[in-house]
Amino acid sequence: MTKENVADGYRNNRVGPVLRASPITASVIEAAEEDNPDKTIRVDDKIAYVRIDCDGELILRRETLERALGRPFKMAELEVNLGSFAGRIETTDDFVRFFYEKTL
Amino acid sequence: MALLDRAEWYDIARATNWTPKYVSQAELFPDLMTGAQGVPMEKWEVYDEPYKTSYPEYVRIQREKDAGAYSVKAALERSRIFEDADPGWRSILKSHYGAIALGEYAAMSAEARMVRFGQAPGMRNMATFGMMDENRHAQIQLFFPHEYCPKDRQFDWAHKAYHTNEWAAIAARHAFDDLFMSRSATDIAVMLTFAFETGFTNMQFLGLAADAAETGDFTFASLISSIQTDESRHAQIGGPALQVLIANGRKAEAQRLVDIAIARAWRIFCILTGPSMDYNTPLEHRKQSFKEFMQEWIVGQFERSLIDLGLDLPWYWEKMIAEFDYQHHAYQMGLWFWRPTLWWNPAAGVTPECREWLEEKYPGWNATFGKCWDVITDNLLNGRPELTAPETLPIVCNMSQIPICAVPGDGWNVKDYPLEHEGRLYHFNSEIDRWIFEQDPARYRDHMTLVDRFLAGKISPPNLLGALIYMNLQPGEMGDDAHGYSWVEKFREPAKAAAE
Repeated sequence: MTKENVADGYRNNRVGPVLRASPITASVIEAAEEDNPDKTIRVDDKIAYVRIDCDGELILRRETLERALGRPFKMAELEVNLGSFAGRIETTDDFVRFFYEKTL
Repeated sequence: MALLDRAEWYDIARATNWTPKYVSQAELFPDLMTGAQGVPMEKWEVYDEPYKTSYPEYVRIQREKDAGAYSVKAALERSRIFEDADPGWRSILKSHYGAIALGEYAAMSAEARMVRFGQAPGMRNMATFGMMDENRHAQIQLFFPHEYCPKDRQFDWAHKAYHTNEWAAIAARHAFDDLFMSRSATDIAVMLTFAFETGFTNMQFLGLAADAAETGDFTFASLISSIQTDESRHAQIGGPALQVLIANGRKAEAQRLVDIAIARAWRIFCILTGPSMDYNTPLEHRKQSFKEFMQEWIVGQFERSLIDLGLDLPWYWEKMIAEFDYQHHAYQMGLWFWRPTLWWNPAAGVTPECREWLEEKYPGWNATFGKCWDVITDNLLNGRPELTAPETLPIVCNMSQIPICAVPGDGWNVKDYPLEHEGRLYHFNSEIDRWIFEQDPARYRDHMTLVDRFLAGKISPPNLLGALIYMNLQPGEMGDDAHGYSWVEKFREPAKAAAE
């Protein structure tokens, strides 16, 4: 890879959570697929962490997560396993949204 | 009893700005401490922290995080991971705890400054949680290594390092004093939470966790990634502060603070995380190279978010990208060469297989850094280990406090970037380090590097022994090759075969 490619690496619009190895990771991936039907969800598993992302905007809804997990889930619980995230974040009681305002 | 959703009460509960009657606003919130740069208090009311939590949620979630980290530790305590781990991996733990644990207290103090002097109610609110986060990080990262102390006294440096004048501890203190301890609330929001935490801590706390999991050290992987979930929340204090500054015509100043913080953070993580990933982690357990982790976390994720907030790339972007290919290799040579001055045992990480990997990940490594390691390897093969030990002093950068170094061999680009200021000659590792000094010479001018102290006669006897005494390194603590030089044997057979 040339230096120019590396320097231009910021030119992407990928957003989404980076989860620690956790019991909810599979359900978050499932919910991400369901809540963002027109997006291609990319999953990069590094064992200690899993990067889940798509272009521009990624939403995770509490209801969808509850269905995927088969148990009640408070949106704030996501923090226990949210090691990092790409993009900006909006946190509410019913959903978490990752997004960029500008498209590069 | 039904409870209101957080969104229904949060804004009202957060509105804690008031009009003081008994003292002036300027006395209550002096500019020096707020760093508001003349942006009046009412302009900060639009500050809206994107990653919200409330006190009941915080207590519940943090309890769950701690229970998780401590239960992984307890479950694996009777395994033999510590004894069976490669010595290079144990060195990573030692360098991590010594360089990081007490630095977390500095970060706690910085968060406390935002709690008291933040101009926005939301900043003060989130920083209160951030302050408690950092206290957790200091405590937990002192507790975990403590059980290793009876097995290996270098682990004592988890607590001891910052209380000494060991050179790497001086480098860490210099950077953290600059970014965390001696800045205003707004500067801290920008430099600590935005630049340092949304950016670089991901490298050491998630990138390295990937290597830890590969190595089988799930206690460490779980601990550091748990810490990063706190960082991920309170790091969001910086973004809206930047937006307020930019909206009120202070973009240039905000950019300057971000550029200083990124440059300083890069040096620290380059010497701490770089050699950990590319040399100390056993070859078979390396998830990615340090450069690949930098591309993932710093270029692809952090710089992208910086652009989204309305900032520009740092003016030295291309220069920093170029350093991804060599700076940490140069630091690794220095760490290994001056190994008695460390509180951990650095792995050389240059067996024939390692060198093949380095050449693949960093084309040209053999013609540059490899040539120096050739000399070291030959000296060890020929039974002349004394030639691989330090006898002279390096020139230390007056900003990073790390020896000035770059590419040796065919790609030679080692250069001092000097600056004369008020009659004193300063030395810097790069244009970037010199630029930081020029931003505020009064802030940095009186500091003496370890070598400056040597030359000023503060270290006696003026030799390596005197330096080790000055750095408080006791016998049994000072570093040596992690593998007892056994890696050299891998070169002996081919050398013998070639001679025959």
